[in-house]
Amino acid sequence: MTNMGASLFAILPELVLTGAILVVILADLLLKARPGRPTAVAVLSCLGLVGSVAAIAAVPGPGAGTSAFGVMIATDGFALFFKGLVYFAAFFGVILGLMSSEIRREQYGEYAILLLCLAMGMGLLAAARNLLMLYLGLEMVSLPSYILTGFRRGDRRSSEAAVKYVIIGAASSGLMLYGFSLLYGLFGTLDLTRIGMGITRLLAGPPTGEHLALAVATLLSLAGFAYKIAAVPFHMWCPDVYEGAPTPFTAFLSVGPKAAGMAALLRFFLTAFGAPVAGAVGGFPWQVLLGILAMVTMTVGNFAALNQENVKRMLAYSSIAHAGYMMMAVAVGSGDAVRSVMLYLPIYLLMNTGAFLAVMAVRERTGSELLTAYRGLGSRSPYLAITLTVFLFSLTGIPPFAGFIGKFYLFAAVLKAGSPFFNVVAVVGVLNSVIALYYYARLVRTAFFEKAGEGEGAVALTEPSRVMLTVLAVPTLILGIYWGPLASLIERSAGMMR
Amino acid sequence: MTQSTILSLVVFLPLLAGLALLLVPRQRVVFCRWWTLAAMTAGLVASGAALSMMQKGAAGMQLVHRVPWIPSMGIDYFLGVDGISIYLVLLTSLLGPIVVLSAWRSIGEKVREFHFLLLLLQAGILGAFLSLDLFLFYMFWELMLIPMYLLIGVWGGPRRVYAAIKFVLYTIVGSLLMLVAILYLYFAHHAQTGMYTFDLLRLYGTELTGPQQVWLFAAFALAFAIKAPVFPLHTWLPDAHVEAPTAGSVVLAGVLLKLGTYGFLRFALPLFPSAAHAAQPLFLVLAVIGIVYGALVAMVQTDIKKLVAYSSVSHLGYCVLGLFAFNISGFSGSLFQMISHGLSTGALFLLVGMIYDRRHTREIADFGGLAQAVPWFAATFVFVTLSSIGLPGLNGFVGEFLVLVGAFGANRIAAAAATTGVVLGAVYMLWLVKRFLFGPLVHEENRMMSDLNGREVLLLLPILLFIVYLGVHPGPFLRRMEPSLHATLTLSTPGPGRVETLRMLQLSTGSLRGSGTGWKAGAEGATAPRGASVPLLPATAPEFTAVVPAPGVMDQVLTVTASAFAVSASAVGNGVAR
Amino acid sequence: MNGSIVQVVLFYLLAALALTGACLVAFSRSIVHSAFALLGTFVGVAGLYALLAADLVAIVQVMVYVGGVLILILFAVMLTARVDEGKESNPTVGKIPGLLAMLAMAGLLVVTAVKAFGPRTVISEANPPSTVSPIGNLLLSKYVLPFEAISVLLLAVLLGAVTIASGRMRKGAGGKQEGEAPR
Repeated sequence: MTNMGASLFAILPELVLTGAILVVILADLLLKARPGRPTAVAVLSCLGLVGSVAAIAAVPGPGAGTSAFGVMIATDGFALFFKGLVYFAAFFGVILGLMSSEIRREQYGEYAILLLCLAMGMGLLAAARNLLMLYLGLEMVSLPSYILTGFRRGDRRSSEAAVKYVIIGAASSGLMLYGFSLLYGLFGTLDLTRIGMGITRLLAGPPTGEHLALAVATLLSLAGFAYKIAAVPFHMWCPDVYEGAPTPFTAFLSVGPKAAGMAALLRFFLTAFGAPVAGAVGGFPWQVLLGILAMVTMTVGNFAALNQENVKRMLAYSSIAHAGYMMMAVAVGSGDAVRSVMLYLPIYLLMNTGAFLAVMAVRERTGSELLTAYRGLGSRSPYLAITLTVFLFSLTGIPPFAGFIGKFYLFAAVLKAGSPFFNVVAVVGVLNSVIALYYYARLVRTAFFEKAGEGEGAVALTEPSRVMLTVLAVPTLILGIYWGPLASLIERSAGMMR
Repeated sequence: MTQSTILSLVVFLPLLAGLALLLVPRQRVVFCRWWTLAAMTAGLVASGAALSMMQKGAAGMQLVHRVPWIPSMGIDYFLGVDGISIYLVLLTSLLGPIVVLSAWRSIGEKVREFHFLLLLLQAGILGAFLSLDLFLFYMFWELMLIPMYLLIGVWGGPRRVYAAIKFVLYTIVGSLLMLVAILYLYFAHHAQTGMYTFDLLRLYGTELTGPQQVWLFAAFALAFAIKAPVFPLHTWLPDAHVEAPTAGSVVLAGVLLKLGTYGFLRFALPLFPSAAHAAQPLFLVLAVIGIVYGALVAMVQTDIKKLVAYSSVSHLGYCVLGLFAFNISGFSGSLFQMISHGLSTGALFLLVGMIYDRRHTREIADFGGLAQAVPWFAATFVFVTLSSIGLPGLNGFVGEFLVLVGAFGANRIAAAAATTGVVLGAVYMLWLVKRFLFGPLVHEENRMMSDLNGREVLLLLPILLFIVYLGVHPGPFLRRMEPSLHATLTLSTPGPGRVETLRMLQLSTGSLRGSGTGWKAGAEGATAPRGASVPLLPATAPEFTAVVPAPGVMDQVLTVTASAFAVSASAVGNGVAR
Repeated sequence: MNGSIVQVVLFYLLAALALTGACLVAFSRSIVHSAFALLGTFVGVAGLYALLAADLVAIVQVMVYVGGVLILILFAVMLTARVDEGKESNPTVGKIPGLLAMLAMAGLLVVTAVKAFGPRTVISEANPPSTVSPIGNLLLSKYVLPFEAISVLLLAVLLGAVTIASGRMRKGAGGKQEGEAPR
């Protein structure tokens, strides 16, 4: 064992998180019937997550000596950035869960613990540099997700969503495993860097049957990632799961696992295939394939969102579209593209969580997620309506909101690639934003232009909701005007991807 | 107030005032109105101050304010004004307080939010006119979208929801494609110079291949043609104008449309001169169709507001026609027409709004003989109508005349066809006046109507004054525009002259900082050169000087006589009707 | 030579066993039959592991899957009330497209395997060295992080199982939850 202390520091965030999980389990047991139990659990969980984020700072960089865990997980800036991001996503998930009546009080402890386990899984997934670790991270994200989706027991939609999720999840992880096994068969290693070297060697030689195997392996592995980030054609689970799952968990699900999956996808492609992604692997044009998948994903997501009457479902489809936007940049695979995805995700975390929080607040009062419940929201609950508008227009990508900056960087990265194909991809991307504007503006229209129906009184906003809406809306506005510090943080983090 | 920050003040005064408004309790309606009025008036004063600080006869950018914003992307906060934008800024600032006054009584609910959006919109428009950084421009350009959407959608007429979403969708299709084009240009510039910048004056110098120019021009032109609007893309305009509340219509017609034509003048033409010249026939045809089609459709309208809206399509056709004439008369006529259309159509929408407030109808058939009931209103309406149809001596004439002169130089057939629009314009407007104001007073409800009150007189008066002033004394305005228009014209013409003009413009704003071998390198090399050191362009415009008389005593005499003539003419018309 | 033929024959037998079992699991109309058919798959796979000289994995496969998981599944199936009524546990929809997709996928994978790895026959030694201690060493050195992470995962799954099961028990008393199996 080389330098045990440094090695442990490399997994300090995970250690802190594990400690937090144990403490929360104990607290949940000890405080059995006390009225303050959910609050205590939430506070402990949040402390654990904040502690983990703080622990990230203590992780030594990749240059600081060999770590015993270095072969399994990366400690570069890229990994640490995503770890911080997904812990924040879990943080919001914990808080939103406390505020929601969809999570029954006596079950809140389990909810928080599962979310903490999920956070750990996401961190491992984002940092994994070994196929085994990658698969384990994926399962660590998936299994608690299945359970949390079915958390609203006795609710038919919730159970159905959970079962659908399990089946599609199992199928896609099966495909992914098969792809991994082919990769192992080809190169005799699970290490992504070594696989990358093997691929370089393989592609330098004359085309053989192994090239086909490599293409198939990559295609199959892609299935697993596509499923995690809800990209076409593995997006089918997404609307049902988002609609059926408890809203606070949906808010989390639409951001956290997506970010982790995106990180894993980027690392997988950039480490194994080198940056930029080799134009064609085994005679297979990967960039074009990913670009087409991106276009199809966003178009399918946006068109499906157009006529949804259920706002949660609409946001689910819109999150598919957002995965498509990010995949554009993944297809490009340049350093700029990686940075643009890294910039997009925190912004997406803010605005999407915010939008779901607003949905949750309306649901708490009216018991409905339908568009009709939002009629006249502008007068029934002005603050809620205004912040919702901010989130929606930010999701559309209109200045001066942060979403515009995110999209701007994405499109800039795509156009910088400079090939005619990617110019087309960018144009399809902006036309998709127009479609997206239609359905986001439709919700704004319902909230502001339509009068409330009979008996639809004021939607009183609880104080925690108001605080959380502010916490999410203010950075959405500020980052839209001044995002320099965030951009330079990403600049520093992305440079270290190894 | 130093020179460099005055423009920021112009832009951010409305914005900050709007944000401050959100802190006011929503019940304090009266305070909201006064506050907004004060902010808008202060904005007008600031714009006037900017005008007075400008150096006359300079072509380049002046009063430049430039701060690095996101250095890693080469994005600057970069404002500047020249002889082109200053008048549009002044027009916007002038309409600001007028719009607030016009909404004094007619907006009764959500007053605070209404005024907040109005201020936000004002800031967006002013920012778009003043931005010299393409990224900043795009931010301001899109900033106008949401306030306008909400203004139409919340306070609009019966079909407001449809009109609002149509407006937004049309606008965003164009602007998003423009965003792609901006980014493409940005990378193309980087590929050539190795420098990342959104600085417009630097991007002017990008060498593009033919197909690149065509594609980029198409994307920019689409955005601006939708906004202007150019003929087949105009269908959002009647809906938006008719459904918007009066204040919204005035801002829309008065200044928002001008962003389209201004965009052509500032961005699309000088950035892609070859493609713009190649597209000249297309745009001449579209402009003429717009002029004639707008006039014909206006003629058959039964709703006064809709009639005025279609007249905008026709009038903006002149602006586009003048731009694509690619000569100095056309350019100055176009810019002048933008200003005068803002004044006269703004006034028409205000007057229609006043009558709607009283009778809650805008059907022409519901009126007739109003001159007997509300003589002052009728007199004003006739006066503005005459301005709108381009009566010599009033503002509309100068712009239309110059545009037609310019178009004649470019393409005689187009000019001849456009001239029919002048005739048709007179027909539909005067026919409206006849049915609306004169004839028997058949509807008894109209007899009880009150005439213009003090507030209404106050808000109309500045517009009327400017209508007369611009009409009889256009010389100073045209002379101030001329150098900048010349420079833009040179930039919009492919050829060797571009390089030198460009260098001069860049020097005037410090866009060439560091390579200071040219103008006053010793004195200003260390700091960013200000607008004060702008070199003059040779102001030669042969076909143009003939139109603009030298200022002198005669001008002033003419002013007085003509305005007296105009006022008495309408009064006489009024009397005849009785 | 003789041994290798035996191994080849064994391989095909075991593979057939595993595949037949899997097909029965998927296509059987009775959930009880499906559960029993799983036995064939598990045993067949375990045999394949053994053929590949992966002794530990084969033993674990038998002990955990056959001895643990399968028995649990059987218990669950047998103890479920009215299990015989679940005749439609495996409704088939979209037979033709599904069949085509399956054939295309299978074809692709077979072609890939043949083209990439060729027709090679892996012949294990007569007395292969035990893999138990190398695996044990690896689990506690190189793979210690995944090993530990799995424990957290198991904790989460345990907790989740309890959460879901306890809810079912509490709520299921009224029999309301029956027939909730989604289509």
